[in-house]
Amino acid sequence: MALEGDVFFYALAGLVAGLVLFILGLKWFRQKQLMDNTPTSKVRSLAMGLVEIYGEVVAAKGRLLKSPFTDNDCVYYRYTIEEQRKGKGGGMSGIPGSVVMGENPGSFATGGSWAVVRKGEERTQFFLKDETALVLVDPDGAKVDIPKDAEYSSGFGRDPPVQVTNFLKSQGVSHESFFGLNKTMRYREFFIAPKDKLYIMGTAGDNPFVDELTAKNSVDDVMIQKGKNDRFYYISDKQEKDIVSGLRWKSLGGICGGIALVAIGLFVIFFQTGML
Amino acid sequence: MAFGLELIILIVLGLVALVIVFYVISVFNGLVRLKNNIKKSLSNIEVLLKQRVDELPKLIESVKGYMKHERGTLTELTKARTEFMNAKTLPEKAKADGIISGALKTIFAVAENYPNLKANENFIQLQTRISGIENELADRREFYNDSVNTYNIRIQSIPDRFVAGMLGYTPEELFKATEAEKRDVEVKF
Repeated sequence: MALEGDVFFYALAGLVAGLVLFILGLKWFRQKQLMDNTPTSKVRSLAMGLVEIYGEVVAAKGRLLKSPFTDNDCVYYRYTIEEQRKGKGGGMSGIPGSVVMGENPGSFATGGSWAVVRKGEERTQFFLKDETALVLVDPDGAKVDIPKDAEYSSGFGRDPPVQVTNFLKSQGVSHESFFGLNKTMRYREFFIAPKDKLYIMGTAGDNPFVDELTAKNSVDDVMIQKGKNDRFYYISDKQEKDIVSGLRWKSLGGICGGIALVAIGLFVIFFQTGML
Repeated sequence: MAFGLELIILIVLGLVALVIVFYVISVFNGLVRLKNNIKKSLSNIEVLLKQRVDELPKLIESVKGYMKHERGTLTELTKARTEFMNAKTLPEKAKADGIISGALKTIFAVAENYPNLKANENFIQLQTRISGIENELADRREFYNDSVNTYNIRIQSIPDRFVAGMLGYTPEELFKATEAEKRDVEVKF
């Protein structure tokens, strides 16, 4: 009976996940269409409104950040500190690589998973430069889509690197358990450094740091930001064609996978409740 | 039993129908957005053209004392400016714009022969400003052509062409350089 209850629960979860996936698929499709329909602008001649630009990151004077684990100069970073936890299925040895890792590090799969102990993010304004000019970018509110730049781990007999240990101390997080043994943990870092190539789709608006009358070039008075009307704001270090291609497959997978999950979920629920 | 299966099929078909409706709406909205992008990018070109035209009287004023032998070019520039100000349609504006671009190229090239003019602070400022606008114009024309190209490809591709047909959308023209703009600058020494 308990097993039947579990099946019913999973079917219901599948149904809800299917609907969420379906809606996400439609959303990704819309984003792909938006990117497809917007030509890339030259920075020098940016017009106000939703724009797409591609160029190199240039740090604004005095606005560099330091990434927490690798101490790299950057204009954006985020990190996660995760601890391996046993799932309710138990029996996991705690050795990295032998566990089922959930896609969402915060989730608890029955076979054991990674739980986020601490995560953080910091961003600062920077310039984006193409072959024509450079423009100020305020990344606040943007979805930053970048791959991880560094990953470290610690476990039984393995300490985390010194830089990580120092950062953990500053955050009041310990990598040791109650008995002084190392916990199985992993530390991931993502950052955008000067000279990184970025694709940005955002809103070109007024630059609050520059007086329009004193601006030498028209682009000096422009800042890329999250728009009030065009809410889509996306930053990535991938090429546009790769982003669009990724969104195409994601949307296709989301829509088809969502429908399939809904169908299977319904089938199981109806079967369980005797409607089939 | 049959009812449950029918319901599942109905829900799945409903979702598929929703995808189709969403897709058609998305194509429709995409084409409308592209059409408006073209209008917007054209307006953005016109803003710069107007800025450039506004600088011309100052330029003519600063060079006419030096370029006594280039009266023809200056008259051509003044005439093209008036034509641009009076132009109502895009082809009229494009024609006047072409003449202005050609005349400006000639003036800036010929200015090399007049050391006093080249050293004139006012002329240097105007030349920098107009050259800046010219560069921005070139970028915005390129952007306009990108927008038109994307739109033209979309309305001729399947299935978008069916929606474009319903909307009565036809291909837009690309921005081409006029003969005056393509012409090599003749500099007399």
